[in-house]
Amino acid sequence: MSRDVADPLSPWTAVRVVAGREIFVKLRDKAFIGSTVFMLLLVTAATVIPVLLSQQTPEHRVAVQGDAAADVVALAAQLGHEAQDPENEVPPALALLGAGGLPAADLSVVDVEPGADLERLVRDGDVAAAVTGDDVGSLQVLGGESVPYEVDVLVRAAASQVQVEQAAEEAGLTAQEVASLTSPEPPALRLLDERPEGSVPPELLVLAFAFLFYLSVLTFGMSIAQSVVEEKQSRVVELLVAALPVRWLLAGKVLGNTVMAVGQIVVVVGAGLIGASLAGEGELLGQVLRASGWFVVFFLLGFVMLACLWAGAGALASRVEDLQSTTVFMQVLVVVPFFAAIFAIDPGPTQRALSYIPFTAPLLMPARVVLGNAQPWEPWLAAAVVLATALLFVALGARLYRGSVLHTSSRLRAVQAWRADRTRA
Amino acid sequence: MQGELTLIDVNRSFGGRPALVDVGFTVRPGRMTGFVGANGAGKTTTMRIVLGVLAADSGRVELGGRELTLDVRRRFGYMPEERGLYPKMTLVDQLVYLGRVHGLDAPTARRRTAELLEQLGLADRARDLLQTLSLGNQQRVQVAAALVHDPVLLVLDEPFSGLDPLAVDAMAAHLRARADAGVPVLFSSHQLELVERVCDDIVIIHRGRVVASGPADQVRAERAGRRMRVVVEPGTDDAGVLPSEPEGAPTGVASFLEQVPGVSLHRQDGRAVVVELAEGADDQALLAEAQRHGRVREFAPVVPTLAEIFREVVR
Repeated sequence: MSRDVADPLSPWTAVRVVAGREIFVKLRDKAFIGSTVFMLLLVTAATVIPVLLSQQTPEHRVAVQGDAAADVVALAAQLGHEAQDPENEVPPALALLGAGGLPAADLSVVDVEPGADLERLVRDGDVAAAVTGDDVGSLQVLGGESVPYEVDVLVRAAASQVQVEQAAEEAGLTAQEVASLTSPEPPALRLLDERPEGSVPPELLVLAFAFLFYLSVLTFGMSIAQSVVEEKQSRVVELLVAALPVRWLLAGKVLGNTVMAVGQIVVVVGAGLIGASLAGEGELLGQVLRASGWFVVFFLLGFVMLACLWAGAGALASRVEDLQSTTVFMQVLVVVPFFAAIFAIDPGPTQRALSYIPFTAPLLMPARVVLGNAQPWEPWLAAAVVLATALLFVALGARLYRGSVLHTSSRLRAVQAWRADRTRA
Repeated sequence: MQGELTLIDVNRSFGGRPALVDVGFTVRPGRMTGFVGANGAGKTTTMRIVLGVLAADSGRVELGGRELTLDVRRRFGYMPEERGLYPKMTLVDQLVYLGRVHGLDAPTARRRTAELLEQLGLADRARDLLQTLSLGNQQRVQVAAALVHDPVLLVLDEPFSGLDPLAVDAMAAHLRARADAGVPVLFSSHQLELVERVCDDIVIIHRGRVVASGPADQVRAERAGRRMRVVVEPGTDDAGVLPSEPEGAPTGVASFLEQVPGVSLHRQDGRAVVVELAEGADDQALLAEAQRHGRVREFAPVVPTLAEIFREVVR
């Protein structure tokens, strides 16, 4: 009988074949596709909508009565127009919040004859506000329920500028002196320990990464557990175990799901970044890429560390219905560190300590790097700690898996699985 | 080309309770070996040890005189007692996957899968999910899963259970074809009549111990010989005596045969008399005595059926 399969199967080939099936099945899983599409939409919306909003300049009509009012509102309109200049160093997203500059707005001036019913104009909504007064020192702004934020800020700024200019003129100052008064030179800023700044606050970036890690470990951890229990429930596992050492099977599952988890994150984050740069936030791309180095390292280590435990938890169940109870411990192991990391987001001894604990390290150590309060050697040490824990957990998960994977009749407790590990010589 | 499968003194216990005690037997190439035992006798445990799914506490399993390695075991074909494949994968995908897990490269796995599905009459369902197939067809896919990698040994745990008579014949034909190709085939069953019909060799296991093994007819013959079946057509002087006697008491010819030294009556069924010969009893004397009472129509050692042997040894 001729045989064409004489070559022994190498571990790497076997692991790849198993991982390939995991990926293949996942790619055809409607729930997985659905959740990825949903995340994509969410990210696109989150990046594009604020940008679109910030690019929309609000328009307001302002009624004016009196000379001083006319001067001030004209200046206010000019300031609002200048704030729309793209050369403005304040990013639009922040300009929207009014941080660091005047709000952009298109103010149109409506001249109103003396004696006209201003209150009616405002009440009817013909104008957003009315400014009255012949003396710049005693201007009055009339609004309905409120005065639009942009109008309020711009008119205040214009009024103070006009008053300063008037006072300076009365004091006989030169044009240069007036300029130095109205736009004084700010003190030069020198930071000893400058934190990297970007177009989003680093804390937000850290939170986003932490959330992605948390979500990924939870979804794909569950997916590993599910894949294990499905093979157990359908009994196909006995065929597999007869052909492959259990640890190869486990390695293949973890590899396949890691690839999918990383792939999903790359796609989702990539879509967000592309969306952001298309919307004119190109700087965000560089900022995220610079920060992502350690995040990726810790993501992989942390994911693999927990993945084997998930597989063990899955193997303890004998039916998919048991999964909820056998994976409870794992869910706690993911959720608690996540919240611990969020509460320890501010630098301090707690954060420092937690950034070395294997469960919170994948969240907090890269965060400390991005926030700039970690020494260069610290992430290496923490990575080593996580790696060591990962190796330990791989062994633990593999043993639980081996001990329980052929026990198809009922749910096992971890201790039983630990003791039952005698499947293979 | 590959050698025979040999188990030597295999022991295994679960939680201190012995499941297998010094189990040893041989599965020869080109022959179908039936593995028979009551529930819990140790059939599945033995098979799992052969496959390496379970480890033996002691003892050896060899193929062609060499201890099994993972690379050899991977080329075994196995049908576990608890059937199962991936319900949500297509036939072709899961057979290719299982072929690759058993060491085939991707093109070979695809080619073998296509061939097998063709042979099993499932080619048109290749792209269907397993769970959409009828149970009978799922069973056929299970066979394909055991055969896809062209195994050097087949181990099948209860391959006939749950099959209708036609499917049983088809399954038997598949296994026979593999055996004829030189593959040792070991299968378990508790359908003894079926085993008797299908197998060449037999292994009987009882409470973890092998109580009989070897070629099926030899095993049966060894347990024959001590019993003779004698049918005598009565002479005129005995006419009418036999059928009308009440049951239980030896009658007619039987009562005479019982007088031969070392012969005791085992059972009587009409004219047929089955007697048990003690050690050293002379069957020729028995024949001579029978001939004195009429025409001997039958005089032969009783070869017990497998079911009879089984009941005897496990009692």
